[in-house]
Amino acid sequence: MRNNKIKHSILGSVGDTLIWIFLIGTAALILMPLVFMFTSSIMPSKDIFKMPYPWITSEFKWQNYWNAIRGPDGDFMYLRNIFNSFFVSSVVSFTTVILSALTGYGLAKFPFKGRTVVFLLIMSTMMIPFEAIMIPMYMVVINMGLQDTYPGLILPFLTNAFGIFMMRQYLITFPDEILDAARIDGASEPKIFWRVILPNAGPAIATLAILTFRTQWDNLLWPLLIAQTDKMKTIPLYITRFTAETHTDEGAMMAIAAIASIPMFILFFTLSKYFVSGASLTSGSKG
Amino acid sequence: MARHRKFGMERNKAKWGIIFILPSLIFFAVFSFYPIINAFYLSFHRKDLLSLRAPKFIGFDNYTYLFGSSNFWNSVLSTTFFTLGTFIPLLIFSLILAAFIMSRKRFQKFFQMAFYSPAVLSSVVAAVIWLLVFDPRGLGNQMLNTLFNSPGVDHKWLATDTMLRLSTIIVYFWKYIGYFTIIFIAGMASIPKQLHEAAYIDGANRWQGFWRVTFPLLKPTVLLVSVMSMIQCLKTFSTQYLFTVSGTPSKPINVITLNIYNTAIRDHRIGRASAMSVLLFLVMLFFTAMQIKGSKSDDVTYM
Repeated sequence: MRNNKIKHSILGSVGDTLIWIFLIGTAALILMPLVFMFTSSIMPSKDIFKMPYPWITSEFKWQNYWNAIRGPDGDFMYLRNIFNSFFVSSVVSFTTVILSALTGYGLAKFPFKGRTVVFLLIMSTMMIPFEAIMIPMYMVVINMGLQDTYPGLILPFLTNAFGIFMMRQYLITFPDEILDAARIDGASEPKIFWRVILPNAGPAIATLAILTFRTQWDNLLWPLLIAQTDKMKTIPLYITRFTAETHTDEGAMMAIAAIASIPMFILFFTLSKYFVSGASLTSGSKG
Repeated sequence: MARHRKFGMERNKAKWGIIFILPSLIFFAVFSFYPIINAFYLSFHRKDLLSLRAPKFIGFDNYTYLFGSSNFWNSVLSTTFFTLGTFIPLLIFSLILAAFIMSRKRFQKFFQMAFYSPAVLSSVVAAVIWLLVFDPRGLGNQMLNTLFNSPGVDHKWLATDTMLRLSTIIVYFWKYIGYFTIIFIAGMASIPKQLHEAAYIDGANRWQGFWRVTFPLLKPTVLLVSVMSMIQCLKTFSTQYLFTVSGTPSKPINVITLNIYNTAIRDHRIGRASAMSVLLFLVMLFFTAMQIKGSKSDDVTYM
């Protein structure tokens, strides 16, 4: 019996060490490409392909960042494209949060005939993948004359079923007494939404805003359809263009990639709580 | 009087409810319901992207064309390869990593953050990084050659069919492993501690604790992660697009979304692209329905 216990604990500690090694090894492997991106972004191209790979370069080539921003045509288009990405992602996050909160609030707190049907109808759009409707959607947007415009980039993403679902679940537990008290005080319904509901939905709003911002920041397919001129392109399009046209300047390529990633990393390190809640929520909605 | 006022308030509420919901409803009508109906409609028509001529009804011609087209079946094959090759390893490894992380008393947060960090990048950025890693002179060859002690061998990451497929799988696996690990961790964290304690008191070891207690209770999460990752893999686009744009062979990684995009935008064949979209939609609908059905019968409740 005792022997058994000792055997167990030795086995246990060997297993324990193996698990540590496995976790640390996997973490190192996963982080390696990220480190590779940052270290290569300040290397001359010949160092990037040196054997073995010099993790710390002998000659820092900060000019990669200059080349990245200046662009192959020397027109600093990347700055404009970065602005476009920020602009589109911010507007989409803003409208998604407002519209989702408004609709979620309506569905959670205002009984009316056919409410369940409306709710199910909205939820059913979650089953329609964007990739399957992008071509008809594209034709809607060009028929509106919105090709190569900001509204064209933004319009199809004004809100989404997941956001509405999330806000509804969050607001459904909001105490009715507070709403009634506000009504008795003579506050109008829009005012209650603006002054009572929105300020009290902070965590849900933050989670949804970050999730939406990231999705848009990452969006390639839709801008690929809509943005025709370089001036209207977003970061993912700039990266594909740069890769296709100048794939010999690897250092600048990594500098572009690093610049595109830095805002997301800053968000991630300051607000990681909401990234994680976003991930586990997406799962909850479909379960 | 009071009853009258109450009735008025109810009606007022209903009015505001509809006002609050209307903007989203109009939005979904224009940007979800109309496009999906239109996709079905166009899939039975011939329509050129640029011509102003009205779509011409051609029955099932687009579908019969697709079913007889080797290009279409190649895309089906590429998508299937990619989906199976990605979601199964994702499922297994994220479960293992989550179980290992949960078994640690320290550094849980650190490992979660480390594994999740690639998910923060754009898919395009992820693809660009790996494009350099997979370069014949790049890190990928160096590491494999160190591992197998085979200096100077080029593994042709971006050249042969199998390796190119594997490369896109690696990019995707790398980007999403942390995401699914976090979902599993959330699932495991919701299992009450008492269940494990009871098992250990009854003499179970950690291995049994995992297989007999955690795993069965995790079934809904397993199902969820499988379907979610499968659906995401079916929609893959960015990696394949960037790879082909940068000059790799396109045939082995011409996944269905890439094919839809090229058929519509490069070849201007809206009808055919719509038929492919409809098929993609139906396949995904099938998996989603399966998941909804599965999650209902598999509900776990903790008393």
